[in-house]
Order: sequence, then structure tokens, then C-alpha cells
Amino acid sequence: MNKKAFAGLFLLIVLGAAGLRLADLSLQPMHHDEANQALKFGALLERGEYRYDKADHHGPSLYYLSLPFARALGANTLAKLNERTLRLVPACFGIGAILLLLFLVPLIGKEAALWGALGLAVSPVMVYFSRFYIQETLLLFFLVGFIVALWRYKRRPSWAWAVAAGFFAGMMYATKETSVIAFGSVAAAFLLVSLFRGKKEGDRPAAGKLSNLLIGFGAAILVSLLLFTSFFQNPRGWFDSILSFKVYFVRAGEAGFHVHPWSYYLQTLAFSKSGSGPLWSEGLILILAAAGIVAAFRPRAKTVADRSTLRFLVFFTLISTAAYSLVPYKTPWNILPFYAGFVLLSGSGAPALLGAFRRRSIRVLIFLLLAAGFLHLGAQAWRASFVYPADPRNPYVYAQTSPDFLKLVLRVEDLAALHPDHEKMLIKVIAGPYETWPLPWYLRRFSRVGYWTDATGAGAPEDAAIVITDAEQAGRLESGLNASFQSEYYELRPNVFLVLHIRNELWEEYLKSRAEK
Amino acid sequence: MKKTVLYVLVISVFAGILASAPAVRAQEQGKEELKLQLPKPMFIGTPRNINSPNLEKITGKPRGAFFVPAGTKLVSLNKPVTASDMQPVIGEVGCVTDGEKSGEDGYFVEFGPGKQYVQIDLKASQPLQAIVVWHYHSQARVYRDVVIQVSDDKDFVSGVTTIFNNDHDNSSGLGIGKDKEYIETFEGKLFDPRGAKARYVRLWSNGNTSNDMNHYVEVEVYATPAQ
Repeated sequence: MNKKAFAGLFLLIVLGAAGLRLADLSLQPMHHDEANQALKFGALLERGEYRYDKADHHGPSLYYLSLPFARALGANTLAKLNERTLRLVPACFGIGAILLLLFLVPLIGKEAALWGALGLAVSPVMVYFSRFYIQETLLLFFLVGFIVALWRYKRRPSWAWAVAAGFFAGMMYATKETSVIAFGSVAAAFLLVSLFRGKKEGDRPAAGKLSNLLIGFGAAILVSLLLFTSFFQNPRGWFDSILSFKVYFVRAGEAGFHVHPWSYYLQTLAFSKSGSGPLWSEGLILILAAAGIVAAFRPRAKTVADRSTLRFLVFFTLISTAAYSLVPYKTPWNILPFYAGFVLLSGSGAPALLGAFRRRSIRVLIFLLLAAGFLHLGAQAWRASFVYPADPRNPYVYAQTSPDFLKLVLRVEDLAALHPDHEKMLIKVIAGPYETWPLPWYLRRFSRVGYWTDATGAGAPEDAAIVITDAEQAGRLESGLNASFQSEYYELRPNVFLVLHIRNELWEEYLKSRAEK
Repeated sequence: MKKTVLYVLVISVFAGILASAPAVRAQEQGKEELKLQLPKPMFIGTPRNINSPNLEKITGKPRGAFFVPAGTKLVSLNKPVTASDMQPVIGEVGCVTDGEKSGEDGYFVEFGPGKQYVQIDLKASQPLQAIVVWHYHSQARVYRDVVIQVSDDKDFVSGVTTIFNNDHDNSSGLGIGKDKEYIETFEGKLFDPRGAKARYVRLWSNGNTSNDMNHYVEVEVYATPAQ
């Protein structure tokens, strides 16, 4: 394949990936977790406040890397932020992960890089979580960068690739604590590759200088130190990041209500169907990854790829998949780091499959089947992100805020327009912490909102123009609220409700305004 | 080309980090922030992903006994049903009175989005003693603008009695209702017609909290024989 054809095809893939990732980013309501991250970022944006919390919310990279996006788009306060600005951050890093495959070309070949890029571009899970304001897509980007830099360094050791590897490793660590699984998988894969190294294949160990290794290690430490300490404002932050492993280790074991069987991830990727919903499958990627595994170990396989790199990808994928699957705590976004290995292997699997047949007609047939399969993946990605973005029948939708919740927000905004204090009207939210979010994000423009987990500390509800409760608190407050408030139910998440209580006077005003319209 | 892309990527990320150095908020001269004493929301991890029905916890208590005159019978079983949308998205209009109350797929009828009604012809005008409605109960939902009317006029132009109306903002245009919204359960919702005499029962709804569609698993009408 000549350079121009490669560049043209790669550009087309990137444009397709950008289309799927950047269009209509405010389509689905903010998830509980996205709203948590958004409020954390809001504190950094408005007041420069960030302190690493070893108990929750993962590393600081998401917040610091959101700042340039917010500033570039003119959002200098939490109130001015919107879903599009925030979700642009993971979307751009999702596209960036595809661009990083350009640096794998000397190691895996142009064809494998193209097929791999196509897999990343149209994989439904990759697209869906590239449009989700959490850390996972950033972790994916830095992980791909780390693997690329390590192998480019191994191929031709230089201080530049050592710094790049260190930088990406530091950013991985500063993104999410689960990066430790990726680091362990990378180390174990390297060890296994060295055990499998055949003398006839001409592999040789990287001639790395100690100085380069130290530079790389230093870069990793420096980057993580800068971010975890909030640029040295919170020196404890970096130590807390180490202490956090205890917290996350306990949580991974206990799992609570996120415990799923070991097969959860593979089953979700291979085949899923819920109720009357459509079928979902990323089976094509899994099959092509299996072909990539065969190509990595089959002595006579026709492949231009560096066999050690391929074998490394095989070991990394298998080890990280096993590790993530064995941890009882599972959420669908955790698929991304280990699934990146499958996608990269599928990139090598496709040309290996095509090269396995001599007859041109069979190769054309396989190519057409692959094209149809990738089109189907793209169609699923579109369906997941644009048709079923908040529908529980989408396997990647997990504890997602229901679209009905936005009707509550709209009602509150309509009522505020009629209230004499407008956005300064008093709103009391009395709900458990799991039933509170994403209200703080959607009520960010209201200056007098109080949050209580039960009614005892909230004072008399009559003080407020609006009281928002969960279903349990609504039952407890029923006698107090019934006389002077009008109540409405809204779905927060499937099977979870919020009750909006509106003071009778305000409600009468609202009905009057509707009648006038 | 590749080197350029690498440099652009690495420089972009570095630039991002440098641009992220703590921001200092400019304060307006002579003004200070009004400090409010309202509690902040608690930050907390990912909530439970609920896929399975969990209705009893939400409804809390079972419905108590409901007393009707002696001789009251189920009069709606297999009676003809018409609807504002005679071509349902899922199922058949006959589901409404077929006696099957299972919450599973295949036992409900789904009508299009927005305001819709189903109407049962009881074949005779009689004193109605209870109406029990199951919209959908494999997931907790609240159906909006539930209005139940009875009449001897099949077009509901004259002699219409409204049994229940929770359209509190009159978005369905049938008048403001003062009744409360409720969460669907496997027990169904029991409405008291207080002996209103009618041949036809019309049930309105206007979407629900999960989607804009309208569903019925079953409607049961109990009545005493006409004198």
C-alpha cells in the first residue's frame, strides 16, 4: 500500500470517528458519575480548587485537561459550562487514541494499523464512552500511547521515546487507579514475550541505556506528582494516591451492588439482548482478534508485523482481560482498557485472515464480509450513541439518568421564571446521595439550593418554593407537604423516582401562565 | 507526518496541563460574595444499575381490603375494546380485557406516544363498583394524565362522569385533576366509581416516566347487576 492511499484511508477513518464522537454531545442526560465529575471540575474552573480524594472520583487528569477546553469555549464558571463542552474532552481523546496508531505502523504494518484504527473508530463501546464525561477514554488514550512509546523505544532506544513512555505512564496513573492493572499486564506481557522469543526470528532485547530508563521513570513521576499535588498546592496528594490502592482494593473485592459474574465483560461484548431491544455484538472484533492471536504464534503466518509486538499484544490482552474479569466490581466502562488490546489484535487479524487464502475470489469475499461487519459495527455505534443513549436495552447504559428527569429540570426552570426571586428562589433537595445526582449539575445556575439526605435537618419545607425528594422521603413528608404543595413524579433512573413538590401559590401562577398562553 | 502528529499530541497534552495551573478568580471591586448556609450535595460513587423489577420496595405496603356490595361481579372480561389508536405499536387491543395480568412481554398492548385512550363496552349500563387498572408492571412507572371516565354515551359527549383525574396541569385538556400520581405495581390501581351507572368506561393516559408510550396489561371493571 502506498503512502498516499494509506494517508487517505486513515484520514477517512479519523473523520468517521470524529463524526460519531462529536455530533450532538448533549443528547442524553448527564449520568450520576458525569455530574459528580462536572461539579469537581467546576470547583477547579471557578476557584482553582482541586484536592485529590483518595476515596473516590479517581485521578486529577480529567479535571486539569478539561480546563483548556472550557477556556477555549469561553466557559469560565460552572454555570456557563454545558454538556457539550465537558463531553468534548473524552471525545477528543477518543479520536487521539486512533491517531496514536500511526506510530505503530513500523511495528505492525500499515494494513494492521488501518484495520485497528477502523475497529477503534466504529466499536460501539469505544464510541459510547468517548461521549461520556468520565476518566475511561483518557485512560485508553494514555494506555495506547504508553504501549506505542514502549515498543518504539524497544525498536530504537532514544531519550525521546523514553520521555514519551514515562509521560504516558504518569498520565495513566494520574487518570485512574485501575491503571495498576494495565501496568501489571504490560509487565507480565513483556516477561512472557521474552520467554517466547525465538532465536531464529532474530529478536533481540532492547539496548536501553540506564540514563534513558531513568529519564522515562522521572517523567512518569514528575507528571503524576504535578497533577496529584495540584501543582504542589497539596503535597499530600501524591502520597494519598498511593494510599488509595487500599481503598480501591477493598472496593474491588466487596463490589457492593456492582458485582457481576466473571463473564460479564466478554458476554456483553460478544452478544447481548435485553427484552424487546435489538441485538448487540462486537463479535467481529473478537473473531478478528482470535485471528491475530493465531498470526502471532503461527510460524508460517504471512504478516509484516513485528512478531514480538504482536505477541506482546496477545499476552497483554489475555492477562488484562483475565484481571478485569476476575475483579468482582464491574461497570461497562471498565471494558475500554483491555478491549483496546482486542481491537489492536483484530487489526493484525484482518490482514492475516485475508493473506491466508491464495484464491483471489475468496479474498474478495472475505474482504466484503469484513466490510459488511465493520459497517454493522458502525451502525451499532450510531444506534448506541444516538438512538438508545439512555435506554436500558443498550448494554452500555448503566445506572443512566432517564430522559424523563429532564422534564423535572424544565419544570423547575419554568417555575423559576414565574417566581419573584427567579433563580434565587429557595429549593430544598431532600434525598439520599444516590438519588441526589445529577441534580447539582442541572441546578447549578440556582444560587439557593440546599441538599439534605433526610428531612430532619432541612427545617420547615414551607420555607421553600420547591422541594425535591426521593420516593422514600416523599412518603415521610407526605402529611406535611400535602396541604401546601402540588406533587409530581419524575423518573430519575429506571425504577428510581424523584418527587417534585411545588408550593400551591407558585403552582397556581404556573397554571395561570399556561392558560394565558 | 507521524512525527508531526506525535509532537502535536504531546505538545497539546503538555499545553493542557500547563494551561491548567490553578486559576485565580477576579473579584469585583467593593463587592463580596454572599455566603449562604445551605448544605452541599454529597459526592458519591456510581449508583446501582436496576434492571429487575423491584416494585414491592417502592410501593411499601400491600393494598388493603376494598368492600363492595354483595353480588358484585367482574363484567369486563372479554368485552369489546376500542382505542384512540386502533393500530397499536405492540400487541392487540383485546389484551385489555383478556384476563391475563402477567407483567411479561406479550401480555400488554402499547399505544403510540402522547394522549391516548382505550374504551370498554360493558354491553349494559350497570352500577360500577370498582375499576382496577394495570398499565404496566414489569418496571416501576408513573403514567401521566390518567383520567377515567364512564358514560352511557359511547362518544362521551353527554352524561360523562369522571372517576379519576390526575392531570394536574391540564396538559391533556380534559380539565384540571386533583387526584395524585401513582407508581404502577403488580397489584394494579383500584379506582372507586362509587356506584356510577354506565355502559362504557374510557381510560386516558399521556405517556409515562420511562417513555412517551401508553400501555395496558389489563383493565377489570366490577359491577352489580342492573335493576
